[in-house]
Amino acid sequence: MFFLQLALSGLAQGAIYALVALSMCVVYRATTVVNFGHGDLVMAGAFVVYLLVVLAGLPFPASAIAAVALLFILGALIEIGLIERIKAGPHIGFALMCIAVGYLLRGAARAVWGREVLPMPRVFDFPPVMLGELVVTADALVIFSAVGVLLMLFFGLFYRTSAGRIMQAVCQSERGAALVGINVRAFHGVMWGVGAAMGAIGGVLVAPLTLLHPGLGAGFLIKGFAAMTLGGFGSLGGAVAGGLLLGVAEQWVGGYVSTKLIDITAYLVIILVLALRPSGLFGQAVAERV
Amino acid sequence: MNGQTPQHALAHRALGTRVFYAAPLLALVIPLFANPYTQFIVNLTLVYVLVTVGFNLVLGNLGQLAFANTALFGIGAYTAAILMAHAGWPFWAAIPPAGAAGAAAGFLASVTALRGIRNYYLAIVTLAFGELLRWSYIHGEALSGGTDGLTVRHADFFGIALESETARFYVFLLIVTVIVKAVSNLMRSKIGRAIVAIRDNELATASLAIPTGRYIVLAFTLSGFVVGIAGSLFAVLIGQVIPESFGLIELILHFAMVLVGGLGSLFGSVLGALALTALPEFFRPFPGLYEMFFGGLLIVFLLIQPRGLSALCAKRWPALRDRYYRER
Amino acid sequence: MKPFVHLLRPCIAIVAYALATTASAADTAGITDTAIKIGVMAPLTGSGSSYSKAEIGLDAYYKWVNDQGGVNGRKIETVLEDYACDSTKGIAAVKKLIHQDKVFMLHGNSCSAVAMAIKPVVLEAGIPWVIAHAANGAISSPATKNIFHGVPVGKTMGLAMGRFVMTKPGVAKVAVIQHTDDWAKSYCGPAMEFLASQSIKPVVEVALERGQTDATAQTLRIKQANPDFVIACLYEAETAIFLKDAKKFGLNAPVMGTAGTDLENTLKRVGDLDTVANYFVPHMYADNLDGPRLKRFVDILKKYYPSESVTAFSLISMGGGAAVVEALKRSGRDLSREKFIAELDKTRDFDTGVLAGRITWTAADRDGVKEVGIAGFVSGKPTVLKAWGQRL
Repeated sequence: MFFLQLALSGLAQGAIYALVALSMCVVYRATTVVNFGHGDLVMAGAFVVYLLVVLAGLPFPASAIAAVALLFILGALIEIGLIERIKAGPHIGFALMCIAVGYLLRGAARAVWGREVLPMPRVFDFPPVMLGELVVTADALVIFSAVGVLLMLFFGLFYRTSAGRIMQAVCQSERGAALVGINVRAFHGVMWGVGAAMGAIGGVLVAPLTLLHPGLGAGFLIKGFAAMTLGGFGSLGGAVAGGLLLGVAEQWVGGYVSTKLIDITAYLVIILVLALRPSGLFGQAVAERV
Repeated sequence: MNGQTPQHALAHRALGTRVFYAAPLLALVIPLFANPYTQFIVNLTLVYVLVTVGFNLVLGNLGQLAFANTALFGIGAYTAAILMAHAGWPFWAAIPPAGAAGAAAGFLASVTALRGIRNYYLAIVTLAFGELLRWSYIHGEALSGGTDGLTVRHADFFGIALESETARFYVFLLIVTVIVKAVSNLMRSKIGRAIVAIRDNELATASLAIPTGRYIVLAFTLSGFVVGIAGSLFAVLIGQVIPESFGLIELILHFAMVLVGGLGSLFGSVLGALALTALPEFFRPFPGLYEMFFGGLLIVFLLIQPRGLSALCAKRWPALRDRYYRER
Repeated sequence: MKPFVHLLRPCIAIVAYALATTASAADTAGITDTAIKIGVMAPLTGSGSSYSKAEIGLDAYYKWVNDQGGVNGRKIETVLEDYACDSTKGIAAVKKLIHQDKVFMLHGNSCSAVAMAIKPVVLEAGIPWVIAHAANGAISSPATKNIFHGVPVGKTMGLAMGRFVMTKPGVAKVAVIQHTDDWAKSYCGPAMEFLASQSIKPVVEVALERGQTDATAQTLRIKQANPDFVIACLYEAETAIFLKDAKKFGLNAPVMGTAGTDLENTLKRVGDLDTVANYFVPHMYADNLDGPRLKRFVDILKKYYPSESVTAFSLISMGGGAAVVEALKRSGRDLSREKFIAELDKTRDFDTGVLAGRITWTAADRDGVKEVGIAGFVSGKPTVLKAWGQRL
């Protein structure tokens, strides 16, 4: 029972990690840029929802949709306005640009909110479901279903539609795609937007569970990395599996070994995976032989 | 490259050498004009000069993204603090072990490079390594003092008690000058050129029978040594070593110093440390705005001046250009 | 190299001269005919910025004092300095206040680790410092010449927490859940020390890091140990998460929290009374936050910072502010630091109106506030308690 309950809570946490990891993975696959500021986009999503719900008085679903749309635009703007313009430079520039943008977002959130730590009003308030002795909370159910639907949508689009095939083509070869008339720059912008929007959904789902503060994003960035690494860097399905596994692993480590280790499970996973099996569970080899 | 004759280059080199020695000599008079507050900021700047010089070895010269710099900084500070607080060592004796511990950490953080791990993967490994170290400071209470950290008192440098900011300043200035000169020499040696060659083209470098993986680990190790020593100075300056000082916010500051100063430029490291230690002090009246300004500043530099302040200065005064570094 | 050899002698002369001169602070610095400068260090930015609500409240209090006519014909001029809960910035801030702004005294600091880092700087300068918010008792004791604690220290609160836990009949098994930081330790440490003195060892100790959004593993482990009481040294968000998980998994033991949380806001966050019905906190105030005795102080805050929300931190430094104003008044028009410190040391059983405990400072004991209450919900209303099940 202990074992299963831990796993269940771990899956609910893991679903959010999976979403964040997948959104980072989308950006990475499409543009080969790892967004080191992604956690702050997650935070931004949660903050925009809060703004709309509490200050503008909009209902939660409308606010959530508006926040995701806004973050899509923000993501696309970051790519087109900033990342695209330093393409000629070294790859360190991308990482620093992402960190800088994240820092700016955090600063902006802090300038607006100052000293307050914000409680989000309860959104879904119905009693937990009992499966035998297992407790499944409303929050967990909402997270499961939201992430499930999103994943189906995403993978359906990516692998089953012609737009999705175009995306895959660009990921395979940018030059080839450009030669057959695909607008690669626009594609990059859109994919950044998609990544940011998916990250924002993670933030929207987390917002009711915890208090909002501008530093919210840092944890998600690390969990996202760990999930991506575990699943195989750049593998979309792997990111999802990695996220879920990480969530469950954290709970088991906390339940059976020590709760002090929960916070570093993600780091241990990263180091172990890259030291023992750098390609992760589902990815291709990463080592560059020179 | 830009139409310089050898004579010009020699003249510039001589001038550059003079600038190198004149700067610390001129700095000697700073305490005559500073109050303990401004002197503290100057001392902090010296610590960050070392941090940036060390970090730049990896970030600018080697061209590898790395997130372990605060870990190296922290391990240096902790090593010095543990030796001074627990074992009662004098400050001067704790400096070399701090550097050695930093070097060992740099080695460990990058050892996966020997297995072919590069770029983002290496960056993420170093990030995880740094956070693991910070976790061990928190939970290794017997040695590290846990979240309360360690208190460093009565720093002794060959009989000089570093009680005042002025005394610390002169000792720090000496150490920083020696190490910056050493790094400068190193970067013009075979090792330094190999490191830069790996950044410019690892495949081509490897084809010259240079074991690039080993040089990457070496660069991290050297960087760890310099940053570790910076950590020991930091421990003495602040008088306290706590895990909180070596988190991700500190890391972003280190990144910014390298970037604003100039990737791969020794002179730039000094400029970057100077600019970003002093700047927050001018923002004291507007506490909420500094983060936004800081993020914006980085973005502007990346877009408009990606080679940092040093390239800007080198354009104006060619004598200041680093000799081992060339615009690509 | 040759020119540098010639420079050697003048250089040595400069160094020797600079080392020989030392800065000293005048005993009456920061006082003019019309004003007294007080430096207030607060973590206005960074991850600990919600602590700074204490110093904002203090600033409002001093502004209010000025509007009542000031002290002995002088207005209080506060210089607010941010230190972002960071030791380096903290040292810079306090050196700036002492040596550049030349304030008369310091009244600030929320983060204990930073307070410990700046302690040597303040001691060296000899400038009076009333600690506004940081709870680590080691800042003010053993007593020094010029450092005073204006809030109950962690030991006082931890002791109150431990004592209250022991008043529940038949308590034998106590579980502990806490953050791994110095803030949590400042509460849970003394509480566990007290329990140890009653020969009670925690049956289980678990960690919940700040920023985690789930406490399943922690809650289930505590539940397995089946404790009679849980001590939770957790910050606001994590307290809410833990209480929700405790209810979810049927962990029914009462929970003793810290003064970092308050009953009203915890209830707001958790959403239903059932979940917080068994939650208790140390209570530093003379009344509930929305009670009639505190209304005056809430109004002061709202007058100068209208958009500031009121939490458990907001009014905590005002008590020290009242004691400072009192000592300044007694020092008279002819003010000096030495005189002021002597007057602070004559503070006996001073009722601040806002704190539950009275302030007493002597030259040998600077831990000013030695009493705190405990509050819990009684029939749905936050109530100050004397012991388990007993109203004050």
